[in-house]
Amino acid sequence: MKSTWTSRFTSFLFILPYLAAFGLFLLFPILYGFVISLQDFELLSAAHPFVGLRNYITIFTPGTYENSIFFRGLWTTFQFVLYSVPLLIVVGLGMAMLVNALPAKLRGLFRTFYFLPYALSASVMAVIWLMMFDTNAGFINSLLQKLGLTGIPWLTATPWVWIALVLTTLWWTIGFNMIIFVNALNEVPEDYYEAAAIDGAGAWSRFVSITLPSIRPVMLFVMITSTIASFNIYAQPFLLTRGGPGDTTKVLLINVLDQAFVRKDIGSASAMAILMALLIMMVSIVQFRLTNRKEKV
Amino acid sequence: MGKAKKIGLLVLAILIALFVLLPLVWMLSTAFKNDFEALSGRMNFFPQKPTLDNFVQGLSGELMNTPILRWIINSLSVGIVGTAIVLLIDSMAAFALARLPDLPLRRTLLSMFIASLMIPSVLTFLPMYIEFNTLGLINTYQALILPATAGAFGVFLLYQFFVSFPKEIEEAARIDGVNKWNLYARILLPSAVSIMMTLGIFTFMGIYNDFVWPLYATTSPEMRTITAGIAMMATGSYTQSYGKLMAMTTIAALPVLIIFIVGQKSFVKAITSSGVK
Repeated sequence: MKSTWTSRFTSFLFILPYLAAFGLFLLFPILYGFVISLQDFELLSAAHPFVGLRNYITIFTPGTYENSIFFRGLWTTFQFVLYSVPLLIVVGLGMAMLVNALPAKLRGLFRTFYFLPYALSASVMAVIWLMMFDTNAGFINSLLQKLGLTGIPWLTATPWVWIALVLTTLWWTIGFNMIIFVNALNEVPEDYYEAAAIDGAGAWSRFVSITLPSIRPVMLFVMITSTIASFNIYAQPFLLTRGGPGDTTKVLLINVLDQAFVRKDIGSASAMAILMALLIMMVSIVQFRLTNRKEKV
Repeated sequence: MGKAKKIGLLVLAILIALFVLLPLVWMLSTAFKNDFEALSGRMNFFPQKPTLDNFVQGLSGELMNTPILRWIINSLSVGIVGTAIVLLIDSMAAFALARLPDLPLRRTLLSMFIASLMIPSVLTFLPMYIEFNTLGLINTYQALILPATAGAFGVFLLYQFFVSFPKEIEEAARIDGVNKWNLYARILLPSAVSIMMTLGIFTFMGIYNDFVWPLYATTSPEMRTITAGIAMMATGSYTQSYGKLMAMTTIAALPVLIIFIVGQKSFVKAITSSGVK
């Protein structure tokens, strides 16, 4: 086909609708968000004076309200990442190996069971677990009482609140990681294991010297996606604990949206959102680099 | 593997399955209990006096002034329309990127779309809210649908499919004088039915399950989606009635659970191709 001006124009028409959506609801908001972060942008006032980097400077000035909610939220989020990511990887891999070790007929069934909660929305997940964790009538405490134990204030006291949040997160999202690992495990060449078995390698040494190296790229993928998802945590504490007890589980995203919609300070909230996004992107780049370097050695 | 070990693994698998499924079974069971029984702390999976009251009241809208039926209809329509738009515009864009080499800025656009996959949603949330607010579109269906159309995941997924489509069929069609639109609509699109289904399921579930954006992008009770509505009820000052809450949660979960179970293979495929290569 000749590449005439009209031909190029028709080709362009095919991409135009998506390009418009991309521009209007992704590219423009990113640029506009940066502009807002340089403004004194009150949600309810008409004028939005330009203030340069003031919003950012305030966030980094110790003693200010913005400084405290940003860094406390960040620390809370970081704690959640620290508690959840290792479990999301280890348990996900463990469940994938378990499913793969089952008789072929049962594999599909159990995979579906484990994957099912992933289909639920955050609010359905939260409402179900609010009921499970209820101090008086909740399923878990009723069970504990039946066993002669005392009930636990799951959502209102530390460290239980962290255990509750990590547990619900695992329940809700582990299916995703499990599926990824199942696919990766299925692609490890069978003869590697056969060769190792002939050499008399035990289960653990086969796992360490064959399974882990073979699935390394997938491991990296799961690590990065789990870390990003955990950095973005919002639904679990917002719906289950309202950030409590006190501010224990007030993660960064709760604070950013509070700053925007409760305190109506969109400018400062945008600056926080940009810093948060930069941090998330930096973490994933660092993880990517680190794992890539290891592979070369 | 020894027999004892096999049985041990099976027992472990069943225990984990119980842990995973128990909350769902409990939700279903509680939905059929009256308030007294739901709050009694009794651990009966079969309600002593099963009742449909929770569902009837929930769907009729007389419950706590929450138009559940309207929320469900909102969610379904927003999900279906959004998915239809995504399928159309993503497939056209992917077709152009993969099969129309004279597309201006082809490489630049492709790398821009792929790069956008790593943009965290927190970056666009507030400016998009301001954008829709300025346009007077907060609390409209447009606000619930349009943001979902910008994601590049579908373009990327379909691009990979279209790129691997055999060139011979396409060339034969071109010699016959088929134009670009017919090449897209008559030849490439019909070959992509299964991958389009995959993308459709993925997109629908994403829109149906989203709750943060609809929570802020809607202001009146009638405009809520079911996920945003349930979230409001869970955090708001509504009276705690687990029976009713669970009946509504069951209704909210049912459409996606059905789609998920039916389209599970597609869903798994979409996840696998979403980045693991």
